[in-house]
Amino acid sequence: MNAVCDLPFEKKSVIPVDPRTKLFLTITVSTIMMSGSVGSVMNYIRPCLAILPVCLLLFSKRWKAVANFSLTYFILFALEIEVLPLLSGFWNFLLGALVGIYTHILPGFVMGYYLIDTTTVSEFVAAMERMYIPQKIVIPVSVIFRFFPTVIEEYFSISDAMKMRGIATLRSPMKMLEYRVVPLMMCVVKIGEELSAAALTRGLGAPEKRTNICRIGFGVVDILLSVIAVFCWAAFLIW
Amino acid sequence: MDTKNNKLQAKDLINVGIFTAIYFVLFFVGMMAGYIPIFIVLLPLICPILCGIPFMLYLTKVKIFGMVTLTGLILGLLALLMGSGIEVLVAGLVFGLLADLIFKAGNYRSLKWTIIGNGVFSLWIMGYVSRMFLARDAYFAKVAAGYGQEYADTLMSYTPGWVFPTLFVVAFLGGVLGALLGRAVLKKHFEKAGMLDA
Amino acid sequence: MIKLKNVNFQYMGGNEAGGLSDINLSIPDGQVVLLCGRSGCGKTTLTRMLNGLIPNYYDGDLDGEILLDGENISKLPLYQTARKVGSVFQNPRTQFFTVDSTSEMAFGCENQGLPQEEIIKRVKQTAGQFAMQPLLGKNIFCLSGGEKQKVACASVSVSSPKIFVLDEPSSNLDISATADLRRLIQLWKQQGKTVVIAEHRLYYLRGLIDRILYLQNGEICAELSEQEAHKLSSDEQKEMGLRPFDLLKFPVKPRHPAHKQTFLCSDFAFGYTQSKHAINISSLELPRGEIIAVIGHNGAGKSTFARCLCGLEKKCKGMMTIGENRYDRKQRLTRCYMVMQDVNHQLFTESVEEEMFVSMALPEREQAASFLERLDLLPFKDRHPMALSGGQKQRVAIASALVSGRNILVFDEPTSGLDLQHMEEVARELTALQQIDKTSLVITHDYELIVSCCTYVLHLEHGRVQAQYCLDDAGIERLQEFFLGSR
Repeated sequence: MNAVCDLPFEKKSVIPVDPRTKLFLTITVSTIMMSGSVGSVMNYIRPCLAILPVCLLLFSKRWKAVANFSLTYFILFALEIEVLPLLSGFWNFLLGALVGIYTHILPGFVMGYYLIDTTTVSEFVAAMERMYIPQKIVIPVSVIFRFFPTVIEEYFSISDAMKMRGIATLRSPMKMLEYRVVPLMMCVVKIGEELSAAALTRGLGAPEKRTNICRIGFGVVDILLSVIAVFCWAAFLIW
Repeated sequence: MDTKNNKLQAKDLINVGIFTAIYFVLFFVGMMAGYIPIFIVLLPLICPILCGIPFMLYLTKVKIFGMVTLTGLILGLLALLMGSGIEVLVAGLVFGLLADLIFKAGNYRSLKWTIIGNGVFSLWIMGYVSRMFLARDAYFAKVAAGYGQEYADTLMSYTPGWVFPTLFVVAFLGGVLGALLGRAVLKKHFEKAGMLDA
Repeated sequence: MIKLKNVNFQYMGGNEAGGLSDINLSIPDGQVVLLCGRSGCGKTTLTRMLNGLIPNYYDGDLDGEILLDGENISKLPLYQTARKVGSVFQNPRTQFFTVDSTSEMAFGCENQGLPQEEIIKRVKQTAGQFAMQPLLGKNIFCLSGGEKQKVACASVSVSSPKIFVLDEPSSNLDISATADLRRLIQLWKQQGKTVVIAEHRLYYLRGLIDRILYLQNGEICAELSEQEAHKLSSDEQKEMGLRPFDLLKFPVKPRHPAHKQTFLCSDFAFGYTQSKHAINISSLELPRGEIIAVIGHNGAGKSTFARCLCGLEKKCKGMMTIGENRYDRKQRLTRCYMVMQDVNHQLFTESVEEEMFVSMALPEREQAASFLERLDLLPFKDRHPMALSGGQKQRVAIASALVSGRNILVFDEPTSGLDLQHMEEVARELTALQQIDKTSLVITHDYELIVSCCTYVLHLEHGRVQAQYCLDDAGIERLQEFFLGSR
């Protein structure tokens, strides 16, 4: 185990939180914020869960994200407290919906951002393997993580090409869908084929049990965070 | 040529990953439209149509039972992670499996079964809306508390109980339309470009 | 020991190109073999047989035996072949399974289920041998093409296979990265590994190769030693469609550009968040109607400059002045056009003709036809652009630019992975564009392309203009110094 310490990995996290804990926290925050009730104890739990991901980002030194998300929270909060009671009818409906949707979804989104931004794909894979998730799921999921950046890269290249051709402006929705989706799929499928070929020549899919050199494990922080999450779940299920 | 093995190979698993990624990206784009309040009831129509193109392309690569089930399961897992609750995971698994069985009935080649199967697969999206109907009172109480009574009332008036079964039909139709659109695009582009094998 | 006995192969779907017929070949351990020949001659197919991708991944009709130490590779599952044969492919972007370089290096061994300590030991050892410790622990999406290819080679090396198969590994690399690649191959050779390389660019392999196999139409039609290959006259090499082993031997014609009008780029400044790739050019005057080669090392800002010129970077506020007219970013979007390295990104419609119509304000069949005619595309006007060959796709992109009246065309690496013949085709197209008074800027690492057609050189380094000169006699000397001096 000691040998691992001096082998550099891509480092994303600043505080050592195990990816399994992060996954658990993400489900906790997003589920409870999205569909938890309002009232009694939940009145205390909701704000805590909303702030938790921002704190995690803060401890991970993601200054810019912290600033952006805090500002958004603040604006939404101000709107809800100061502006919403003044409105009625349609505008109340609209603003209420907007604020409601954001306060329900944003914390989960911030948590998801934290999860993705501070975890490497190898850590995800290691975590899944530790959780005894079968290779039949681990392989597709790791491909998905590998592919999101690719899909985004290709999407921007195609956007650039459309700008140069002067076809990025609005046309019929069908044409837009066709111009964007068809080249994207053609490129992504081609990349996928090359990727599969490369992965297969490296022995992916061998029947032996895979090993993993990525080091993950639970620490004090994980226990602390898990206790908080379990408490929130208890509150969520009872109230 | 592929009859020699009916087990999922690494190659198939990678394909599952690639297409689930594209599907999810397009699905997410559709979901964004769903955050506009009233559109939530239109989601079952919009998303399956959007996703029809990648899904039909995916089906040209699917030859073995299990791939579509895995796609449903993984989509459900991603949705679970994003806080949509366990219902979506169950829906993803169930409708993925059902669709897979239907495709298999057509040997993954028959057009008729493919279109029906796509309709069934798109029912997984009902996992997202089911809560609105299954635990109706509790759901709307929460909505009212969180989003304001006006919003809750409006949403409720737009979604009387009979809408629930209707949405199943809508989602199925969305899937069928998506399949037809996807097929048209495949014919127009992928086939003409010689990018389809078999 | 690799042995191929009476091997025939045809890809599924009756695709003519790339099949092999009647291959008999044996490669003893420790030999470095170069496979060369024109595009579609079957050299890639041959590499795919050695690593087992044929018939396990690419379908087709295969007969004959492919034996590795007496075992028939085509009957083995890929994960078993993977232990003996390691592969490096052409495109550095698509051969990674993980996202960080350390995990990528461990990937092959992890699949074999080797113990953790063993893998770590090997990763460290390989990183040491390849002098690539600084590349460990990096996100692969943040590495340059050359660095990616280095990681790819190292990753294969970690599982220490007996045989290395490389399929056009230098296609996307600049000069210094190509030199690095040479060192890696040298290392494998010293370790006594068998190396099989399919490649178009030959100069960087000088002095490494034990044996050259020349393929034509799916058959091995000549076998040479390196010495014999060096003795080939440049005409013979041209006849065979081979790029030179010695860049200096490649025929050059100095140009004497008539000094015509110029255009001016002013205040081109742009910085990505990482300082790499940033540019800062306050004033740059370039000749019009010339073919301008844009050279420089990786990260010199060549692509960024091109993107700014084409108006693709919103944050770059620079101006372009042609004569009396000044063009800001948005106007440049409609004046300049970039032919991208991956031209697949810029083809949108279901037929070549339709592709022209999209670019025309008033779609007119005859006008479209005349442009297609000029680029030899008329016979393909009803075909789907994606069904065309790489060169034809490039021409469709050029045609769509011409039809919308663009005067400045930018080419991003138009010849990566091309053989001599196709490279010359690109050179001819560029020359034809010059004849109709278009200005072309060509970002390239391809020395042969530059001396075949370019008339002017713009040398960028660290986001600034290092030099700009005409390709007359003195200019060619400077160019050679850039390409050969840094070897």
